[in-house]
Amino acid sequence: MLALELVAQGLVQGSIYALIALGLTLVYGLLRILHVAHAALFTLGAYVGVMVYNATGNLPLAFALAMVVAGLAGVATFRLAYQPILSQPPFVALIASIGLYIAAEETFRVVFGASGLSFATPPLQGQVALFGGIQFKTAELMVMLGTALIIAALGWLQTRTRVGVACQATVSDPQMAESFGISLRKVRDINFFVGSALAGFAGVWVALLNNLVEPTMGSVPSYKALAIIVLGGLGSVRGTLAAALVLGVVEAFGTIYLGKLLDRNAIAFAFLILVLMLRPQGLFATR
Amino acid sequence: MDYEISLLTTMSISVLFALSLNLITGFCGQISLGHATFLGIGAYVTALLGKAGLPFLATLPLSMLLAGAIGAVVGLASLRVRADFLAVTTMGVGFLFVGIIRQQDWLGGELGISGIGGSGLSKTGFMLLALLSTAAVAALCLYIRASWMGRVFNGVAEDEDTMRVLGIDVPRYKLAAFAIGTALAGLAGALYAHHLQFIGPDSFGFVESVTVLSMVVVGGIGSVPGVVIAAALLSALPAWFQFIGDYKLLVYGGLLFLMMRFSPGGMAGLMSRFFNPVQTSAKGER
Amino acid sequence: MKQLPRRRPLTTLVAALGLSAAVALPAYAEIRIGLNVPLTGFAAVDGKSALEGAKLAVAQANAAGGVHGEKLELVIYDDQAAPKEAVPIATKLVAKDEVVGAVSGSYSGPTRAAAGIFQRAKVPYVVAYAVHPEITLAGDYMFRVASMGEVQGRAGARLVADLGKKKVGLITVKSDFGQALAAGFKEAAPKFGLDIVGEYEYALQDRQFGAVVSTIKAAKPEIIYASGYYFTAGPLVAQLRAAGVTAPIIGQEGYDSEKFIEIAGDAAEGTLVTTSLDRDSESPATKVFLADYRKATGAGADMVAASTYAATRVLIEGLEKSGGKGGEALKSAIAAGTFDTPIGRLSFNDLHEVRKDIQVQVVRDKTFRRHSVISDPVLLAPPGRPAS
Repeated sequence: MLALELVAQGLVQGSIYALIALGLTLVYGLLRILHVAHAALFTLGAYVGVMVYNATGNLPLAFALAMVVAGLAGVATFRLAYQPILSQPPFVALIASIGLYIAAEETFRVVFGASGLSFATPPLQGQVALFGGIQFKTAELMVMLGTALIIAALGWLQTRTRVGVACQATVSDPQMAESFGISLRKVRDINFFVGSALAGFAGVWVALLNNLVEPTMGSVPSYKALAIIVLGGLGSVRGTLAAALVLGVVEAFGTIYLGKLLDRNAIAFAFLILVLMLRPQGLFATR
Repeated sequence: MDYEISLLTTMSISVLFALSLNLITGFCGQISLGHATFLGIGAYVTALLGKAGLPFLATLPLSMLLAGAIGAVVGLASLRVRADFLAVTTMGVGFLFVGIIRQQDWLGGELGISGIGGSGLSKTGFMLLALLSTAAVAALCLYIRASWMGRVFNGVAEDEDTMRVLGIDVPRYKLAAFAIGTALAGLAGALYAHHLQFIGPDSFGFVESVTVLSMVVVGGIGSVPGVVIAAALLSALPAWFQFIGDYKLLVYGGLLFLMMRFSPGGMAGLMSRFFNPVQTSAKGER
Repeated sequence: MKQLPRRRPLTTLVAALGLSAAVALPAYAEIRIGLNVPLTGFAAVDGKSALEGAKLAVAQANAAGGVHGEKLELVIYDDQAAPKEAVPIATKLVAKDEVVGAVSGSYSGPTRAAAGIFQRAKVPYVVAYAVHPEITLAGDYMFRVASMGEVQGRAGARLVADLGKKKVGLITVKSDFGQALAAGFKEAAPKFGLDIVGEYEYALQDRQFGAVVSTIKAAKPEIIYASGYYFTAGPLVAQLRAAGVTAPIIGQEGYDSEKFIEIAGDAAEGTLVTTSLDRDSESPATKVFLADYRKATGAGADMVAASTYAATRVLIEGLEKSGGKGGEALKSAIAAGTFDTPIGRLSFNDLHEVRKDIQVQVVRDKTFRRHSVISDPVLLAPPGRPAS
């Protein structure tokens, strides 16, 4: 029974990881940048979500605006920050990204205050019992459903629409795609928008689960999402999804049974190192 | 003068630490996001041995030895995974190190180790020791750069596969880079511990690893003078930036970003552009 | 600032010029006090509270005519809660700013790193809320107004017994504070016949406690002793309550912030906190502090603000007794004194650890109210100076 509850809690955490890491994978697949500042868009989404909900009391609107704002900020980040340095070695973009993340975190603190924001009356806090007694907060259940829905929608878009196919083609062979008349610029914009919107979406969920958004809330995702996309085999969407859920469950059990030996981060990274030494291409690499 | 001496010691240790990473990342092209681990190993070794009664100078080589040995083991990972995979693996090593330290009572656990000291030197003497060590390491770096080993490192950084085809024993050189670089980080750590006289797990985490990597990249990856200048400046920045108070880290992050955005070659790039204005930076997309 | 009357631009300009001229003058008629606080980075919330507390203490003293006619000046540096930053700051305070005494409004790491420097310079250093046990071991110029972690942990065990509970679930944050609390609690638990039915640890960065909550629920404790800071405790308490755990929860100083109640919402109701600030205190020191703090900042005071205010007060009262002199005279004045502060009546033992009561506050109708006071000098005795 406890084991089941731990799996359930691991999946809740894993869903959040998945939402953040998916956006990162989209960016990585296209540009090969370790985009640390992605986590700042997650924080941005959370702030927008809480402020919009507190002002209007409309949760769907809060989600929509959070996603749009994070998405647009993502596109702006790409255009202003990454595009001009794409020809440079990868560490240049990595350090630029880290600088951007630090600056963003401090901007949140200066603008919104260090102590963060909370929902005045947090929605979705009710209790639901499933499968004969495993208790969930409504928000926990919804985050899993929301993640599943959005991933299904993305999968459908990617294989069934022109834009989606163009994106996939660009990831596997940019030059070829360009010669077929696909606009690289447009594809990159779209990828950044979608990836960042997902981060913003995740941000609002985390705000709902914890009833707290704070300037530093992105610092754990900033590196853990990197670990997840590497675990999933860098650039593979399915691998990332699986890695996120597996890591969520590993951490849930780890914090209970190994908590006295290692903290959550160390457990996650011990698992990562173990996997990489056995399978250098990642847990679920397809290529 | 005390303040200047203290600040100069801090800067000198940062430069030494940055040079040690430059050897691995700059010379040999192996990116590491967990270099603070070795600073930590050096610091803990000297602190524990010092407490056990060993004289300060005797602990230094032991700090370097253990840091270098563990560094070589981590270097083995670089034979298995490359580039971004390696970056994330080394990051993992960093988190694992901190996670282990936190839970070990004999290493001080969360409390860290206090009352380290007894280098037996005056403040000025200790500063001179730090400056001398740093100068020696800088000279060593320049020597390595010009040697056969340095050329192989460069080859590995540029194109590992070609080097293999040429019959170079690439793994051996990679391990050498890791061993030397991490041993030097151990030396920096030992000096760090005696300078601060207090160490704890939080001092050797991801933030520290990222900070030292940014020193190297801002300086200009691979450039010894660039890294020296960048590490000296970036380590003193928080102290000089006191007057901007609330916006200190914001400015720090912003500068880091702007530097990479507008001068991706770092300070070394800036300098060479200043002296050879004809040569313009490469433009275009990858 | 909002209350300032509107002035004409010219007057403002003249005032500004006057102000800058005043700053430019050599500060010969001033007594300087140093303060290191984390104003940027992850600990900035506490840094802000600490800064406001210290500023209030200095402002009150200056409004009352300063110390022996000399104005006090607070020299403030941001240490980002990092030991590495604290060393140059402490050196600067001692060597450049020539402060007569200093206050730590920061965390354990930087305070521990700064302690040695102040000790060597023989500058009294009063620590507000950093709990690292070795801070006072740095030497006799160190003073601490916060109860040590072990002491607070013992008080927690006593509170459990006072509430008539036996089976305790222990949740510990992985930090020096959490470890010390757990150690103190476990040390005193057998004395009160307590039975620890489950023990879990979490990291400072954690905000999602699903796994811990599920497990503690299965262990069915009668009461939960959970260490943490408002930013971890808020989500933790909310998640425990949401999962249907109804056992009372005991927290400590780290919970003591209005932000905790804001985050946990209704779930915060009934949470007990062992802390140092009693909002319902009849003591004039506390009442004046609470009122003035609200006037100065527009917000309610928390433990960090009260402790840093108290630490600064201790230093100022010491200066009054020493005739404005620092060094040996100031140290002896503080060591021998008794101080009425918002965190109670303080005096120091031979290690310069504070002797004071522990306040138990309970969250009722979205505010902290008095629950009880633990006044047990034997149980709450801080450790003395080890014979060396």
